[in-house]
Amino acid sequence: MIKCENLQKTYPLKKLHGYQALKGLDLSIEAGEFAAITGPSGCGKSTLLNIIGFLDNPSAGHYLFRGRNVSSFSDSERSGLRLSEVGFIFQSFNLLPRFTALDNVRLPMLYLGEGSAETEERALALLARVGLKGKETHTPLELSGGERQRVGVARALANNPKLLLADEPTGNLDSGTGIEVMQLLTQLNREGLTVIMVTHDMNLAGKASRIIRMKDGAIES
Amino acid sequence: MRISESLRTGTLEIFHHKMRSFLTFFAISIGVISIMYSLTMIYSMNFRTKKALEVVGYGRMQVQTKQSYQETTTMDKKEARDNLSLEDAQALHTNFPELPMVSPLMFSGGEFTYGDFHDWNRVAGITTEWKKRGWVYKVRGRFLNQHDIDTYARVCVIIQNGGWFKKPQWMKFYGWKDDFQEYIKHHDLLGRTVKLGDNLYTVVGILEEPPLEKNPKTFLDLEGWEAKILIPITTLQRLMGGSWGWAEPGSIESIQIDTGRAVTVPVYRRRIEKLLQARHGGRLRLDVKDFGEIIKTKMADKHRDMYTVLIIGAIAILAGGIGIMNVTLATIYSRIKEIGIRRAIGATRGDIMAQFIIEAMLLGFFGGIAGILISMTGIQYLAANGDTDMMMVQWWMPLVSVVAAVLTGFIASLYPAYQASKLDPVEALRYE
Ligand SMILES: Nc1ncnc2c1ncn2[C@@H]1O[C@H](COP(=O)(O)OP(=O)(O)O)[C@@H](O)[C@H]1O
Ligand SMILES: [Mg+2]
Repeated sequence: MIKCENLQKTYPLKKLHGYQALKGLDLSIEAGEFAAITGPSGCGKSTLLNIIGFLDNPSAGHYLFRGRNVSSFSDSERSGLRLSEVGFIFQSFNLLPRFTALDNVRLPMLYLGEGSAETEERALALLARVGLKGKETHTPLELSGGERQRVGVARALANNPKLLLADEPTGNLDSGTGIEVMQLLTQLNREGLTVIMVTHDMNLAGKASRIIRMKDGAIES
Repeated sequence: MRISESLRTGTLEIFHHKMRSFLTFFAISIGVISIMYSLTMIYSMNFRTKKALEVVGYGRMQVQTKQSYQETTTMDKKEARDNLSLEDAQALHTNFPELPMVSPLMFSGGEFTYGDFHDWNRVAGITTEWKKRGWVYKVRGRFLNQHDIDTYARVCVIIQNGGWFKKPQWMKFYGWKDDFQEYIKHHDLLGRTVKLGDNLYTVVGILEEPPLEKNPKTFLDLEGWEAKILIPITTLQRLMGGSWGWAEPGSIESIQIDTGRAVTVPVYRRRIEKLLQARHGGRLRLDVKDFGEIIKTKMADKHRDMYTVLIIGAIAILAGGIGIMNVTLATIYSRIKEIGIRRAIGATRGDIMAQFIIEAMLLGFFGGIAGILISMTGIQYLAANGDTDMMMVQWWMPLVSVVAAVLTGFIASLYPAYQASKLDPVEALRYE
């Protein structure tokens, strides 16, 4: 599903040389995998995940997504891929604070141009699925951390993506809630979704089908 | 993203920032108010000019002599002068039989008495020519005829006001009552004998004006205080004297002339002046005005006022636009994170741009609506208090104003929205 060849990312800095966050990284992930990426802070995990999720472009190297070379895609093409091909889950949830849980989940569907009646129905079903029945009209401020992340998961699933990307999804949660969210992700993976998750927690990483260890902008094993 | 959804979230955003939105509303609505006012004034002035010319005729002219108090130098004031006479009017008529109207006029005033009722009134001395232009009346009885003029008949015709279909509110409690008009409305004087000054007259006719809404003269404001009692000019000369109770024997006040068409006015102006001066051996101090000029000078003040208001309006709208621009820019800085989130879940640059533009247009729209509400209230109030300009407000004016406000929002938000759309999604997401 994903194939990265000699992937490099250099962040431009004010000094002459940029900072090279990814130093020629090769990686391939098959459909249906649950991959956990681990590694010390600052080793480039988020950078890699952003490139995989079409949020960022690599400075050099190739990124093939389902056979297509994405590195040459335009901004609007990549927006389209983010909208319908992948779902993002963030450490800090990144929900819109003034929107209700329901509206947060509906948002990607609306960007796809769907009408409000069908989106509402589907968003309600998704919220029920992540265990938030009855909390649809709560805003993020009125939800606990675990509940917020469940909204995040529901939103990531809004447009039936093939790939779920989670950047330290349990980083802001206590271990109990973290395990619950992890269970949700494993469940989704079992239903056929490809999941790539960045985590520090070796316990959680152990539950994945594959562990990718990173160090200094490259893959260790 | 469907438009309905953008409108919904845009409205939410505006209501969430009440203070910020209010300031923009304020500027926009002031702009809209002055646009409304100016539009109404422009419309009213064009309408009046057109109607005025339609009623009095495009070729209309007025010949008067300058009174000695109108002169500037003492020498001119003391100089002996001739006055216009009825014979002058007759001479014009014979020399230029093609003129559609040569109507000599003379005014006076006197106590009108009938039974217990008495009231001071302005009286006009006229000939049969009077009815040739600006005739809007329905006659009961008859109008003055040549026989009345020739025989110095003691007869009069009374003009009865039309009244309003729908009385403006100000008339109900604030407007002054015209006692004379009130009286003749309730007492039919046709065929009765009334006293005017020291003499008795027979009322031979009542001229009923159309309702004021339908009467072009309502909006003219040209003739000033119109005399409502008409008598033969010969009778007035003999029995009443001029406006100040005294006049040179045989003199008249003015001659209203219709040359038929606007283009003929200058030609006749020269010919008429020449003929009149010849008749008086150059001793006339003529004051000839054509109605086009009169209307223009009447409108000049209003034009100036209107442009002032229009400029204020343009500035207010501009200020509103800059306000919207500022607000939109400020919103963008406080919403970088939101932009990042939206981009991350798949919004395109266009989506982000559209979002901010729609929000700004909504801001313009709501400000515009507020402005419309305020200005319509104001205009209704002024109209109800007798401002005939403001009565001319048209249904399309609010529409135009709101469109202007929305357009302001659109233009003002283009740059900030473009800035927002250019933000890098990853950086925007990391922004705290
Ligand atoms: N926008 C940026 N500009 C400059 N340096 C950056 C930027 N984003 C990340 N980096 C640097 O790149 C390295 C990798 O960052 P990241 O991928 O976020 O690490 P992590 O593995 O902790 O997720 C870090 O040293 C970080 O400082
Ligand atoms: Mg990270």
